[in-house]
Amino acid sequence: MLEIDKLSVSYGTVHALQEVDLEIAGEGVLHGVIGPNGAGKSTLLDAVSGRRRPTAGAIRYRGQDITRRSVAWRRRRGMARSFQRTNIFQDLTVREQLSLVAWRLGDDRISDVIEVMDLGDYLEERAGRIAYGVQRRVDVALALIGRPQLLLLDEPGAGLSAEETLRLFQHVRDLVGERRIAAVVVEHDVDAVFACCGVVTVLDLGRHLATGVPAEIRADQRVITAYLGSAA
Amino acid sequence: MNGQAATRVAYRRGAALVPSARGSRRILAGAAALLLFTIGAFAPQYLANDFLLRLADGGLLLGILALSIAFLMSQAGLVSLGAASVYGGVGYLFAIAMSQWYLSPLAAIVASMVVVTVYAAILGALIIRTTPLAFMMLTLAAGEMISHAVLLEGLRDYTSGADGLVVSFGGTLFGLEAGDFANSARFWPIVWTAAWAIGSAVWAVRRSRLGAVLRATRQNEERMRFSGFDTYGPRLAAFVLANVIAGACGLLHVLNSGFVSPESLGLGLSTNALVSALIGGTATSAGPLLGGVIFAFAQDQFGAHGLTQLLTGLAIVVFIVLFPSGVVGAWRDFAQWIWRNRNREAG
Ligand SMILES: Nc1ncnc2c1ncn2[C@@H]1O[C@H](COP(=O)(O)OP(=O)(O)O)[C@@H](O)[C@H]1O
Ligand SMILES: [Mg+2]
Repeated sequence: MLEIDKLSVSYGTVHALQEVDLEIAGEGVLHGVIGPNGAGKSTLLDAVSGRRRPTAGAIRYRGQDITRRSVAWRRRRGMARSFQRTNIFQDLTVREQLSLVAWRLGDDRISDVIEVMDLGDYLEERAGRIAYGVQRRVDVALALIGRPQLLLLDEPGAGLSAEETLRLFQHVRDLVGERRIAAVVVEHDVDAVFACCGVVTVLDLGRHLATGVPAEIRADQRVITAYLGSAA
Repeated sequence: MNGQAATRVAYRRGAALVPSARGSRRILAGAAALLLFTIGAFAPQYLANDFLLRLADGGLLLGILALSIAFLMSQAGLVSLGAASVYGGVGYLFAIAMSQWYLSPLAAIVASMVVVTVYAAILGALIIRTTPLAFMMLTLAAGEMISHAVLLEGLRDYTSGADGLVVSFGGTLFGLEAGDFANSARFWPIVWTAAWAIGSAVWAVRRSRLGAVLRATRQNEERMRFSGFDTYGPRLAAFVLANVIAGACGLLHVLNSGFVSPESLGLGLSTNALVSALIGGTATSAGPLLGGVIFAFAQDQFGAHGLTQLLTGLAIVVFIVLFPSGVVGAWRDFAQWIWRNRNREAG
């Protein structure tokens, strides 16, 4: 589905990602990306989704090199993302924004998305006026419209409680399993990641540290030293 | 699950009720608009003297120009300071097309509108991607360039420099002679009809999918792209439409005044139109049109006291502080407030 090849991204002199290789194969499997703050997790999603041009390397999506494609092009071909900092339409109602995006992507079944993200009670509310936790769900809901093939979620649990995060992860895991799509979830709540992801990648200081099933990652000595050590 | 099913049923029942109520209200609103249009088109010629009509003609022209600015402001969040350069520029084009290229009046109108459209598309393509502040400064720069171009010595044969051009035509245009357009009473129904037509067109665009896309883009351009939208094309289309409105308004102006001069291109006119838009409110079609008329009458009153600049400045401050959404916006809020209170008492 997605092949990342020696991907590097720099912000001036900050090398946020250095020669990262990664393959997201899984249909129906949630792929978690963890790592300390500043490891380059958001930068990875920015590069894949087209928000930020890589300084080197290539991104292939469904067999095609898309490194230089526009954001909107990627979205129309099934690559969708949500944002670490809520990025929704504050002055539109929840229904207005979901239907506008659904119109663009030719999706006539937003009721599915509304149900999955449990937004039924907020449809007529302006997004800027609803609780932060619900706004997070709107952010994810916007990414779910149009039946994307590849879902990229950047800390969907940011600002949610541990239980809310876990519940959101379970929702997404079920959805990904049902629709047999690929999904990458960046999260620093490692418990939710180990509980719901089939594969986990660890980034540290802009480099790829390890990829494997949760049990392998938990036991990996380098990961424990670099990241889990303090948490575990 | 049960709750959701119940909601769905309630929605459906609501759906059956709402359109009929809304439908009858729509018919009522349509009839009221038609009545207002008809009365407005003919009554002033019998009630007002030549001086007042002339003021009203000018005010409505200013209002149409203000509508062009307000449309771009409210839909795309962009303030243009170059409206007058198109408004006046189209007058020059019209005059030159007839006198130098020997086009008929109608062909000259078509030619000058084509030039305006192409100009707006090229300028827009260059500047629409910048920040709102840069956009404003670039429209100002482009406008100033046009104002200076008409004063160039090399173009004097075409533009007559600072003297301006007398614009007249022989024969008829849409069955009217040049003298008809110049007559304040006969021009009134023309500009009134144009204001309604342009106002309705803007109203329709606002309610269309394009309007929804523009407003969402204004709110969050990045999320629009991440939702698969092209955010460049719609904004370019809005910019071109705003310029076409300014151009049409400029043609009406030149037909009415029979004269075009560097003043009609200047920044002063652009800012007057901007102020008119703010007075009336940018969110509706009626707002800027009314704002233009208010502005024209107020200027006349202020001028009578010899205090035009001072009182205009004062009025602007008062309006922006007291009625940030303009006269029409404030009126709308007031009507909604009454409506809500009445409903509360009834229920
Ligand atoms: N827009 C930016 N400008 C400059 N540096 C940035 C920018 N965004 C991120 N960085 C830097 O790049 C590195 C990786 O950041 P990020 O991808 O946000 O990490 P993570 O999401 O893993 O916390 C950090 O050192 C961060 O300070
Ligand atoms: Mg991050």
